[in-house]
Amino acid sequence: MKEMIFALFSIITLLTGAGVVISRNVIYSAFNLVLCFFGLASLYLLWGATFISMVQILIYAGAIVVLFVFVVMLLNFEHSSERSQNFWIILGSGIGSWVLSLFLLRVLSNTLGASPYQSAAPTNLRTVSKLLFTQYLWPFEVLTIFMLALIIGIYLLGRPESEGTQS
Amino acid sequence: MMEKLTSMVYWTHFVSVALFGLGLLGFLIRRNALVVLMCLELMLNAVNLILVEIAMKTGTSEGIILVVFVITVAAAEVAVGLGIILNLYRIKKTVDLTSFRILSG
Repeated sequence: MKEMIFALFSIITLLTGAGVVISRNVIYSAFNLVLCFFGLASLYLLWGATFISMVQILIYAGAIVVLFVFVVMLLNFEHSSERSQNFWIILGSGIGSWVLSLFLLRVLSNTLGASPYQSAAPTNLRTVSKLLFTQYLWPFEVLTIFMLALIIGIYLLGRPESEGTQS
Repeated sequence: MMEKLTSMVYWTHFVSVALFGLGLLGFLIRRNALVVLMCLELMLNAVNLILVEIAMKTGTSEGIILVVFVITVAAAEVAVGLGIILNLYRIKKTVDLTSFRILSG
């Protein structure tokens, strides 16, 4: 039963992921992206990673896609129909991605498929946060400095032109 | 139990790899800068799925921590990328990636 639900959400995720790539309209790509993120969140939930599932819905479907939709709203796409790419580029990219995917699937099946299951100590939020504040404290702090630099950078990118000394 | 878990593992591998391939394909063939950013998100999510699977299967927490870091960096990347796209649109009035040839002479 769980396996059937897993397969259903996998198919939903893949179909909406394909919809992101092949939609002609940007706003439809964004909507497909929301559905794809929800499908991935349910896959995480089925694996038992509840925290990551909630974070996925909050940050990806709640913040990132809203940013995308907001930018689509800011830019005016009414009469800018996207021309399709050169045929040879599409063919080469398709073959390249296909071969790389087959290679990755092979590698994953050979390395991870045969690894033993040690589900004795289930991963929960308590152990994750304990590790995050003891063993991985320095990467966490580096990440906060990174976020500060990010805020300053986005302010510099997005400030109005009349205010600064842009040439 | 073992059989069920194995099937879920194979589905996860298939979904993750196919999502990565789709993201790579869209990254290469689309010309709209916004869709290219969305395809980058697809690739990051494919990697996240594999990390969650490893963390849940082996009972270790390092995968979850790495996923948290990846999500943070992805949010940062989208914010900066959309800022750059807005500035490019201000200059050129388009987001078609092939029209930005300022550096190619």
